[in-house]
Order: sequence, then structure tokens, then C-alpha cells
Amino acid sequence: MSANRWLATGNYYSSYKEEQRIFSTHSDRLIFTLFLLSLFIWPLFLDLSSKYMLVIDNILVAIIAVLGLNLLTGFAGLISIGHAAFVGVGAYTVASFSTVIGDNHVFLTHWWPLVILIAGLVGAVFGAFVGLPSFRLRHLYLLMATLSFQIIFQWAINFSSFFNQGQTIFVPRVYWLTGKVMRKEHYLFWYYVILVVIVLFGFGIRNLLRTRHGRCLVAVRDNDRAADAMGMHPGLTKVYAFALSGFLAGVAGALHAYLYRGVGFESFTLHHSIVYLAMAIVGGMGTLNGSFWGPAAIQILELQVENLAEKAGHLFPSNMNLATALRPLTFGLVIVLFLMFEPRGIANWWRIVRSYVKLWPFRY
Amino acid sequence: MPLLTVTDVTLTFGGLNALSHVSMTFEEGLITSIIGPNGAGKTSLLNCISGFYHPTRGDITFGEHDLSLAYFSPHQVSVLGIARAFQNLELFSGMSVLDNLLLARHQNLKYNLLQALVYFGKASRIEAENRAYVEEVIDFMELEPYRHKIVGNLSYGVQKRVEVARALTLGPKLLLLDEPMAGMNIEEKEDMVRFIGDIQQERDITVALIEHDLGIVMDISDQIYVLDFGELIGSGTPEEVANNPKVIEAYIGEE
Ligand SMILES: Nc1ncnc2c1ncn2[C@@H]1O[C@H](COP(=O)(O)OP(=O)(O)O)[C@@H](O)[C@H]1O
Ligand SMILES: [Mg+2]
Repeated sequence: MSANRWLATGNYYSSYKEEQRIFSTHSDRLIFTLFLLSLFIWPLFLDLSSKYMLVIDNILVAIIAVLGLNLLTGFAGLISIGHAAFVGVGAYTVASFSTVIGDNHVFLTHWWPLVILIAGLVGAVFGAFVGLPSFRLRHLYLLMATLSFQIIFQWAINFSSFFNQGQTIFVPRVYWLTGKVMRKEHYLFWYYVILVVIVLFGFGIRNLLRTRHGRCLVAVRDNDRAADAMGMHPGLTKVYAFALSGFLAGVAGALHAYLYRGVGFESFTLHHSIVYLAMAIVGGMGTLNGSFWGPAAIQILELQVENLAEKAGHLFPSNMNLATALRPLTFGLVIVLFLMFEPRGIANWWRIVRSYVKLWPFRY
Repeated sequence: MPLLTVTDVTLTFGGLNALSHVSMTFEEGLITSIIGPNGAGKTSLLNCISGFYHPTRGDITFGEHDLSLAYFSPHQVSVLGIARAFQNLELFSGMSVLDNLLLARHQNLKYNLLQALVYFGKASRIEAENRAYVEEVIDFMELEPYRHKIVGNLSYGVQKRVEVARALTLGPKLLLLDEPMAGMNIEEKEDMVRFIGDIQQERDITVALIEHDLGIVMDISDQIYVLDFGELIGSGTPEEVANNPKVIEAYIGEE
């Protein structure tokens, strides 16, 4: 028996292999492929200004970081309020290379994919290190470990001359097959690079989640006594979650460094950690696609807040920066509203739309 | 031949002896029950065997391993072939029945992180093999209708059954069941009794059972140990225990 794999209105499978597939119908896969394709080709038809291109690139970098945070907080249930510091570790790995071997060394300009990978691994090492207390501590105490890391990170960057006291450290333009990537194509080039990274990581994580290496994360979140009895080392599993999350944060940081062609401490503060958390919550904790919705929604919200602040700015005394005041306020409000009314995030709206479409035309 | 031997085990919690000088043997292929009033130390004993607690004194021998050593933690004991169903449900309540059972295959899924990321070839093949193993247990425990249901939403009786199924999925030599029938209705209890019998006979698994329903215990046990205030007050076959004056006193004294 072979079911129609184009228009299935339920779930039928005839082997376990078949049930493993990511896309249960051909039409699902086709729609997804078309969507992916459109992400790659729209820049050929639409010439966005650098300003908006940067906004988009920013969203994509944030998606990678939030994927990491979501694995840690959404899947493994370990809240982190130091995620921006891990992103910073990645960025400062690139900056350190720049300081030590010079900001025009071929390693940085030609071997940048390797540099980005190394930044990810350094992020993983720091992640694992900060996660070490999970052998003994739980919940709030672990949260304090991530907060301390955030504080120590900021302090270490600001007070050390190696890191230029937190002032910008320059990162060079890179070379590609066609030669040096110049100012005009810089943001477009990095759009493609980050997009490819997201696609690779997206599929990687999707795969991970249907194997032991993904299920164990959810197991320690739901019940770590039971996880222990089922043969998982709960402490080690949590350290692994921290490392995984640190890796993604590190890669995001390195991409950020190359994208901005410089690294300064002001992009990796506690405020940014909270924004990452907001993105994960708004997108939907513990869902993969939530990591895509969240960053997009929050970035757009941030633009709106800035616009609003600019428009309303002249009503207030000029020495008062309205945007600075409004930003934390809106984030706080958005987090609270989502936690109260839609704790499963935007991903839940997506789920509802999908299950509706799936049962079409048999609605009820 | 004893599969597991508990020798002179004492467990102390700040001056209180949850277990004092308890010795038991669990014969291979049999059903051994532990009975006794609430607070007698039954769960504590299982906790000592499965590595959650470590006895203050005494040995717990399983093959060539001494499980009383601080070195043994639950995940190591589970690998040796001792599985545990908890008294108070300890399920992964946000996951489906299927995922709960697949998690018990954790140690049998032998592929590495990179193979998992690619999920092609080895990882996918091993996942499918273990899925087949899990399906067999689902069949055995008659959980087919609940396969894709989220565990937290199932009825209490079914959750108890999932708890036992998950322990079975570990593929143990010894199965520790802590009050698997508590809170069940008559029909569910009968099903569970049948499952326990099948586990022993068809799957050749040694069973250690804690249960309050004396009728059931007398019916299915090969050997019974009676605990009271952390002390062993009687042991033997069901008839021997039923006729033991100390046991009768403890049980009637409780009323
Ligand atoms: N972690 C613990 N800390 C302190 N006391 C405990 C702990 N675990 C069990 N006990 C005590 O040990 C005694 C035996 O408990 P338990 O083994 O749960 O009894 P049972 O399962 O026979 O009802 C009780 O008095 C209980 O309060
Ligand atoms: Mg008990």
C-alpha cells in the first residue's frame, strides 16, 4: 500500500524509516524548498539599501544565537541570562586573532570559515565551563552562574588592554572566490554566508532532536531523576547543553564581528542577553521554528520603537533620549504579555495555521 | 542462584534508621515481593539498589559489582541491567509515550554526535532498529492507542503502565517495581498482575515487587520479605509469611 504522499490528510506510515522523515508529505517539502529558494534569489530582484540589508543580517545573526539559547533554555530547561556574553566570546575570539596576528593576516581574510568554526568551539568550551556547576546545582543557582559569567565577561573586556578596554577592535574585509568583498557587496555577501550557516544548523539541529543527543536535553528538562534512571548522566547532559548553546553563540558572535568589521563590548551586554531571552520567549521556547520567529519579531519591534521615539522625540526636552527609555520598557512588556497570554510563542500560531491546512479540505 | 544479594544493609538519615541490618536475596527468574506498612523502608531499599541512595553500611551484590559503593549512580546501575519503575510517577511528562520509551534506549543508541547531526546511514538505521524494539514493548504492554499521546495527559492507570513499559524498554535482567498497582481500579490491577506474570515468564526477567495488596502479593510471589520500621521481621514463601506470628502482629497492629 502506498499512500498519496502529496495530499495526505492524516498520518500514515508503513515503516519506521518513513516516519523518521522531516517532511511528511511531498507538498510540505515542495513548499519548504520554494521558500528556501526564494530566500536565496530575492536579492537578485530587489536592491535593498545597506541600512535595511544590515537589519536583515542582524536578524539572521540573532537567529543563530537564539537557536543556541533555545536549545539550552527551551529544550534543556536551563535558563541563561548570559547568552550575549557567549556571543561575545565568539566575537572576541575573532578580535583576539586580529590583535595577535594583525588585522590583515590571510588567516582572517582568507580562512574566515575556519575562524568562525574556531570561534564556535571556543564558545562551546566557555559554555561547558559555565555549565560545570550543573553537576551540583539546579535552577536558580545555575541562572546565577550565567549571570556571573555575563558580569565577569563585561568586566574582563572593559579592564583589559588586550581587548582595547572594550573599544572597537577592527576585523578585516574577507576574500571570496571573486576577490576581496568590497563595501558595496559586503552586506549582501554576509547575508548569503549567514543564510547558508542557518540552513546547515537548522537541519543539523532538526536531526539532532530526533536522536539520543537531542532527546536527552528534553529528558533532563522534564525529569532529571528519571533521566538518571534511564542511563543518562544528568550533570553531563546539562554541561553538553551549555556547550552546544555556547557553540551556536560563538558562531553568531564571529559572524557579528565580520559583519560589523569590528568588535566592541557594547554589543554583548546584559541588555542583549535579555533581548535574546525575549526573542526565544516570543518565538516559542522549545520549538525549533520559534528561534526564527522571535528574532524577526523583536528586531521589527525594535525598529518601530526607534521610529516612534524619533517622531515623538521633539515633544520632550532634547537631553532626554526617549529610545533608551522606551526600549527596556517595551521588551519587558512584550515578555510579560507573551508569558501571560501565549507562553508557547508565535510558533504556536504557526502550529495552529499548519494543522488547519493539513486537515483541509476536511475542516471541522 | 541469587541474581542480587543484599547483605546487612543499614541506611541512616540523621539518626533515623530507614533500614537496619536488612539482608535479602533475589533469586534469578523469580518474583520476590517486599511488603510492610508505610514508612517501613521499602522504597529506601530500592533506592539503595538503584543507586539513588548509598547504604551507610552493608553490601549489595549484583554479579561481580557491589552497588553499595558511592561510585554507582543510577545511570550506571541502569546500564548493568537493573531497571526501576517509580512509586510516584517519574515520567517525562511533556513527551509522547514513544519518546519516553525511546529515552530508555539511550545507552543502546550507539552513534556519535556528528552522525546524529547528519542523520543519514548509521544514526537513522540504529534509530529505526530501536524503534522496532520499543514497538515490541508497546505491543507487550498494550499501549498502542497511546503511542503518540503526551504522557502528562494520560490517565493515572495508563501512566503507571507507561512507567513499567519504560523500565522494560531498558532491557533489564532485574526489574524493580515500586507499588505499580497503587491507585488503580480492579480492572487495571488485574491487567498489571497479568503483565507482571508475563514479564517473569515470557521475558525471563527477575522481578522485585513492592505492593500493598496482600491478596495479589500472596498470589504471584515466589518469595516474600516483610519490613517494619526498617527491620526485616519475616521472610519465606507466601504460606510461611502468612503464618508468621510477628508478621500477623505487625499487620494487625497497624489496623
Ligand atoms: N531522603 C530522605 N531523607 C530523610 N528521610 C527519608 C528519606 N527517604 C526516606 N526517608 C525516611 O525513611 C523511612 C522509610 O521511607 P520509605 O522507604 O519511603 O518507606 P516505604 O516505601 O516503605 O513507605 C521514612 O521514615 C522516611 O521518612
Ligand atoms: Mg514507598
